[in-house]
Amino acid sequence: MIVTHRWLKEFVDFALTPDELSHRLTMAGLEVDTLHKIGEGLDDVVVARLLEVAPHPEADRLTLCRVDNGREEVQVVCGARNHKTGDLVALAQVGAVLPGDFKIKKSKIRGLESCGMLCSEKELGLAAESEGILILPPGLPLGQPVFAVLGLKDARYELGLTPNRPDCLSVVGVAREVSAMSGCQLRLPRPVVDEAGPDIASLAAVVIEEPELCPRYAARLICGVTIGPSPAWLVRRLEAVGMRSINNVVDVTNYVLMELGHPLHAFDFALLRGGRIVVRRSGEGEGFTTLDSQVRQLKSSDLTICDGVGAVALAGIMGGENSEIRPETRDILLESAYFNPAAIRRTSKRLGLHSESSHRFERGADIDMVPVALNRAAALILEVAGGTVARGVLDVYPQPLSRRHLTISTQRTHAILGIELSLARIGELLAAIGLDIIPPVGGHPDGLLTVAVPSFRPDLEREIDLIEEVARLHGYDQIVETLPVCRIVSQRLPQHQKLTTALRDAVVACGFAETINYSFVSPGLWDKLQLPAEDRRRKCVKVLNPLTEEQSVMRTMLAPSMLETLARNLAYRTRDLRLFELRPVFLPRAGEELPDEPLRLCLAICGRRTPEGWAQGNDAVDFFDLKGVLETLYRQFRADTITWQADAGEPYLHPGKSATLYSGGVRLGVVGEVHPRTLAAFAIDVPVYLAELELPRLNKHAGIRPLSRFPDAYRDSALLLDETVTAQQIFELFAKAGSKDAEDLVLFDLYRGPGVPEGKKSVALRVRYRSSEKTLTDEEINAAHGKLVQTLCKKLDATLR
Amino acid sequence: MKQQLEGMLAAARTALAGADAEAALQDVRVRFLGRKGELTALMKEMGALPPEERPAMGALVNRVKEEIEASFAARLAALREEEIGRRLVAERIDVTLPGRIHGGGSKHPITLVREEIVEIFSSLGFGVEEGPEIEKDFYNFEALNMPKDHPARDMQDTFYISDEVVLRTHTSPVQIRTMLQHQPPVRVIAPGTVYRRDSDITHSPMFHQIEGFLVDHRVTFGDLKGVLTSFISQFFGQGVAVRFRPSFFPFTEPSAEVDIQCVICGGKGCRVCKNSGWLEILGSGMIDPEVFKSVGYDPEVYTGFAFGMGLERVAMLKYGVSDLRLFFENDHRFLRQF
Repeated sequence: MIVTHRWLKEFVDFALTPDELSHRLTMAGLEVDTLHKIGEGLDDVVVARLLEVAPHPEADRLTLCRVDNGREEVQVVCGARNHKTGDLVALAQVGAVLPGDFKIKKSKIRGLESCGMLCSEKELGLAAESEGILILPPGLPLGQPVFAVLGLKDARYELGLTPNRPDCLSVVGVAREVSAMSGCQLRLPRPVVDEAGPDIASLAAVVIEEPELCPRYAARLICGVTIGPSPAWLVRRLEAVGMRSINNVVDVTNYVLMELGHPLHAFDFALLRGGRIVVRRSGEGEGFTTLDSQVRQLKSSDLTICDGVGAVALAGIMGGENSEIRPETRDILLESAYFNPAAIRRTSKRLGLHSESSHRFERGADIDMVPVALNRAAALILEVAGGTVARGVLDVYPQPLSRRHLTISTQRTHAILGIELSLARIGELLAAIGLDIIPPVGGHPDGLLTVAVPSFRPDLEREIDLIEEVARLHGYDQIVETLPVCRIVSQRLPQHQKLTTALRDAVVACGFAETINYSFVSPGLWDKLQLPAEDRRRKCVKVLNPLTEEQSVMRTMLAPSMLETLARNLAYRTRDLRLFELRPVFLPRAGEELPDEPLRLCLAICGRRTPEGWAQGNDAVDFFDLKGVLETLYRQFRADTITWQADAGEPYLHPGKSATLYSGGVRLGVVGEVHPRTLAAFAIDVPVYLAELELPRLNKHAGIRPLSRFPDAYRDSALLLDETVTAQQIFELFAKAGSKDAEDLVLFDLYRGPGVPEGKKSVALRVRYRSSEKTLTDEEINAAHGKLVQTLCKKLDATLR
Repeated sequence: MKQQLEGMLAAARTALAGADAEAALQDVRVRFLGRKGELTALMKEMGALPPEERPAMGALVNRVKEEIEASFAARLAALREEEIGRRLVAERIDVTLPGRIHGGGSKHPITLVREEIVEIFSSLGFGVEEGPEIEKDFYNFEALNMPKDHPARDMQDTFYISDEVVLRTHTSPVQIRTMLQHQPPVRVIAPGTVYRRDSDITHSPMFHQIEGFLVDHRVTFGDLKGVLTSFISQFFGQGVAVRFRPSFFPFTEPSAEVDIQCVICGGKGCRVCKNSGWLEILGSGMIDPEVFKSVGYDPEVYTGFAFGMGLERVAMLKYGVSDLRLFFENDHRFLRQF
């Protein structure tokens, strides 16, 4: 909503500067998004007379003008075509700064000097759009600032209104607030209509078939108008608040809309068949062409304004093409009505058709304003378009609404706000915004005040609404800051939140940077990963109204977003990456409205193992770098023993370089090198290792193992093993068959090459022996180690090298 | 013999002083004090002396031996000191060469501000609750005093999953879920991911919020101001001006928008604050009695306040990030700066 300083002043005679008013409005809950001071700093734009207009010798589209600025003659090059010798124009002189920080300098245009600029209304900030330069009315003094002599200095306030304040969708509504905050009297327009025509009832009729959806409908008939352009004052007013001038009659309805906040509609009476208005529901599936030439498919829940035959307007939203005001229109029927907010909203939302009118009706218009706005518009139309107003108003209002009464208590006000306000102060604040204090009948209980709520404040329905008004008008800054007195409750973090935080810390400590990807992804990602058609992860939660196809399904896994992120970073030539994401995935659950949202951890690495540097190797990362990270994490979280099973069985992972992780029989997730096909699908040209895992369970500490005070001894052995034998088999046999004094086993070398036959590998083991009871002898150690090696050879079909 | 001893001491001292390496030094020691050394040889001759001269000569021999030992030890220490000195010079490194980095990971800035805000409110006794991101219309709207066909729903353009299920448009449904489960006093903050159907330079369709609410006997609007002012001074620094101005949210009444003095220009007016000198950072208000009714709290017995803020907005101010999209592009060059 846009209001201007001058227009507000018509209704309330306040003495605030634009900056002060802007601040006061914001602090009263009518936030000023932008304050535009029209004409400020534009004293260098002066009235000048065109002495000569000649074509520019070097350019067809330009003219060369000699102008008199009251002191001297100057030469100006101008691009407009609507000016002629003798016109008075607005000359921005050298040094002037126009809106948008546009500095006027002496310049050469196509070789000819130009000392200033002849301005359009747009360039002066007077209108959003304009054609040609501004031609001033004759008789103005040359050399005087244009804004001063035209009385155009003004301020435009763009308000960001909250949906609970439909009353402020008008100049009068904002003026009422200004009146309350400044203490200056509000002067409302009291239109008087000269009714020179015959009785309206003899010419037209109004029938409301749906009083629930249209509680009030009023009409006036004006005959013999002349449709034409509006006078300058009307055009300027509309443009100042962001509206375009159409013709005098439509402009008046828009003027009243902005002034009083009540939407009106003018029909060409000659086009209303049967000379009557019927307010009724549309037929199901009926097509209707609105003013914007769009054909709308209506439903029986939509309210239409019909004539004796069919629809002529979509009630409260937009008029119809079939009855709109045309240049040849002579007689007009003027509508002023009140429609049910929810009904207007449903239709407007379904059709995606939002208008100034629907905006107000769906928030709640003022039913008492119906006749006032009608009369105001009729009087203005007489003034700007001529004609004769028929006698009387067709005002159908079957069930007049009574004003709501509400009671506010000082005690409750204190309980909510924390400050004590007297009943007198509360009454004074509420009266200032137009609420009537109802005098107590037979003595009023202490601390209670009853008020009648005017029809323009549909948002005031409960005591709490009044308390808010009291707080707002008294001033939030007048409410003293306090700290609550509360009962102590233990508020430890739940276990899973602690785990999440600790896990994130641990992953970061391992050198990973955290990423956040959108939860919605493209359904095409599943194909990029080559997930089989029946894969459960293809069953995802779909967004009904996505912004794009790329963001239309909720992800069931993190890996694809991670691959996209990697690809983007690689494209920026960041080659060494360690990234992670710890976020939920969304898994539909049969028979449940809401999906499961378990947290997942996705890790990915590529590039060099260590950052490039003088002291580091240049090795690329491999599977075991990522595995080592996972082992570090699981160790830190005392997760149950993790088993690594070869081949993740994922179409997007390398079958020979991936594993599935299990913890106590529960599948935790997968880790591995990304499949070359997948890499190609994501346009990644370097090996990537990726893991996607469920969160580990955090276990209690199992208690420590006692430390031995006796010395240790090592035995090394190299075994020649079949390639198919896994390290895990060795560790398992060691755990099962190793002596109780065998403390640990390290696999310290892995060799293939000369001396080792094809299909075999050489594995070097080091076993540390130590007893908790005594110093072991060589014989004891040799015996224990010999037995272990023998078991390994037998069970794994190995030979000692 | 006495002369011989004196001469030997002088010779030994000269030889020790001349030895410039530990090995040479040891050789000198052996030459004089070794089993076949000169002093040892001389001591063997002591037997030939008359008995009355032997004690004095013995004492002299001991003195000479001790002096040679002492000179040797001193010279050895000096040589070792020189040796260490040489080594230290030889081993000098360029300490300005870059070190070997371990770790080097980073948390996302949204995580960082969330953790800081949670930490501040935890210190004030608030617990942390979470809720689902895909939420029922009831929790996201209805129970928050936003019935269907209410214009306030226009304030938040919504992604729908079905007629009754949405991507939550704010973290406020956690209020409802928490209050349905617990009786007052409740004192909770709820960080989370939220979604709105809006995407341009200043809007991301997915972003993050933190919600907070406190319900008990006798909680007032003054308490709301006190708690939020305290939070702001801890998060943005002491002395940052704060203002509360009327606003509207369907689930609070009275409602307040909380502005802080622009941290970019200090209140003088700049592009970030649209020349107002103020930045909007929090929405807040006293919880609406309708909300209490929908969770079964008696609005005559309990009062409370709620507030919510966007983490991206706060992070942008805190770290001077001017482009919202940076938070979701996951450019490592951006991420590694946190």
